[in-house]
Amino acid sequence: MPVLRAQPVSSVEWIDAARLVANDYNPNVQPPPEFRLLKISLLEDGWTQPIVVFDDGSGPLVIVDGEHRWRVAREDRDVAQKTGGLVPIVRIRKERAARMMSTIRHNRARGEHTVKQMAAIVRELLSAGQSVDDVCFLLQMEPEEVDRLADRAGMPERVNRETPTFEKGWMPQ
Amino acid sequence: MTKYHLRKKHYVDQSVLELARERLRFVFERFDFITVGFSGGKDSTCCLNLAIEVAQDTKRLPLHVYTFDEEAIPPETVEYMARVGARPDVKLDWYCVPIQHRNACSTRELYWYPWQPELRERWVRELPAQAITDYPGLTRTPIAAQMAALFPASLGSIAHIMGIRAQESLSRYGAIASKRGFEAFLSPCSGHVRHGKNVYPIYDWTTEDVWKAPATFGWDYNRAYDVMEAAGVSRHDQRCAPPFGEQPIRRLHTYKTCWPHLWAKMTARVPGAATAARYANTELYGIGIEDADLPAGMTWRQWTLATLDLLPDHNRREAAAAIRVAISIHNSRTHHAPIPDADPHPVSGFSWKLLYIPAKIGGNKFGRVQQKITNRAIQERKRRGIPRA
Repeated sequence: MPVLRAQPVSSVEWIDAARLVANDYNPNVQPPPEFRLLKISLLEDGWTQPIVVFDDGSGPLVIVDGEHRWRVAREDRDVAQKTGGLVPIVRIRKERAARMMSTIRHNRARGEHTVKQMAAIVRELLSAGQSVDDVCFLLQMEPEEVDRLADRAGMPERVNRETPTFEKGWMPQ
Repeated sequence: MTKYHLRKKHYVDQSVLELARERLRFVFERFDFITVGFSGGKDSTCCLNLAIEVAQDTKRLPLHVYTFDEEAIPPETVEYMARVGARPDVKLDWYCVPIQHRNACSTRELYWYPWQPELRERWVRELPAQAITDYPGLTRTPIAAQMAALFPASLGSIAHIMGIRAQESLSRYGAIASKRGFEAFLSPCSGHVRHGKNVYPIYDWTTEDVWKAPATFGWDYNRAYDVMEAAGVSRHDQRCAPPFGEQPIRRLHTYKTCWPHLWAKMTARVPGAATAARYANTELYGIGIEDADLPAGMTWRQWTLATLDLLPDHNRREAAAAIRVAISIHNSRTHHAPIPDADPHPVSGFSWKLLYIPAKIGGNKFGRVQQKITNRAIQERKRRGIPRA
């Protein structure tokens, strides 16, 4: 029998966000659009994953993964209100070196969205009745990105629309 | 001023399309053997189709076309190449040979060799059915050195048609503008092929012209461009060039999003590819400025301004803004002393050689380039022991 109780997610707790602190090495920087996307995600879907913290019993809980979600929960009133200022955590106990590696694994062990599939999704969303504005807001995309993904025309046609005639030629003089 | 001088563009009252046809007719009337160097890219697509048109008019079909398949190319390019090869009016020589290519991803292995027989199990795709894998005189040297083996003097005079355009870079502009007048599209062949000429029929075309042609005439084209366009790759950067050279590795991450399956194989094929895709635009792969970058007879200042001039508007504005900021820092530290050309100014740390970086990169990368040259100037000052003013 697998021992599910030994898995960290079997022991998720709700903790006051003020008891957590950021670690001092996190290489992951989040630009504003991704930060806003995280807020939208927390409001639309709620907390689906706990924050991973290190607890040596001596004081504050140091974040191993989930710093940006924690920041959203601290800085954004709407998100904080949903849980009364509490955030879900799981604890791990590891040496500093192992924790740093754990942080990087959490950040990097993920795939890449392929362009063709993203284009298919955006087209499906639009044909299912989502407005361009909604798609832009809910996925924090620029209109430029939505346009590019949704446009089915091939390159010759796209450029031709913007190019009335061939240019005049030239010779070096 | 200096001896170095780029000829000016003299616009004429014909469209680039008419002129390209005229240039090709000129070549078909005068050369014994005509061949198109075809990469599958947008520029060689125009050359191919225009040359087929003229070959038909002059009853010289099928047209000889050759390609060096670089193995790590998108599936759309491979499919397009196969469609071109299947045309009855084309005789395509599809070379899959281990010639030398630069690998800028790695400091340990400076070159890589597509279709290297010893590494067969790591090839990123199957060898095409039509592939030519050997020929007399094949050596593991760069493409230019292969030309003499492929196009011997026994073929007579050779016209080697290529889709090179002046808009692409200053060095390409220089290749065209070394001569004046109508025949500027003819240039000496590389690789000691004295009986041949390189032919650049679309040298004056813009990127828009290059796409307008297939739209106007309904030509087939490489669908890899549609994928790059959807991925947000700027039109100037949409290239089907080898992905592992110095300039292309800055776009290596495009492969990861556009062609993830190909990408997975590429990282196992070429040492350093995964690292380069992650860090190519960071200081780990910092742009080196080398003295070799500077054309003979030019100063760094002239070269910087000339490079800026050829950038697309948006990139030029960004790069120029980064340079302006650096100049104002220099001015305020030195009370408007002239900026030295190559050696860093002892008080500001700046030189035109350093200011060339934004022009070379073609932008400011969200302020990172500006930060980088400022930091480098500070390092230079420290090295010379000049304290902060």
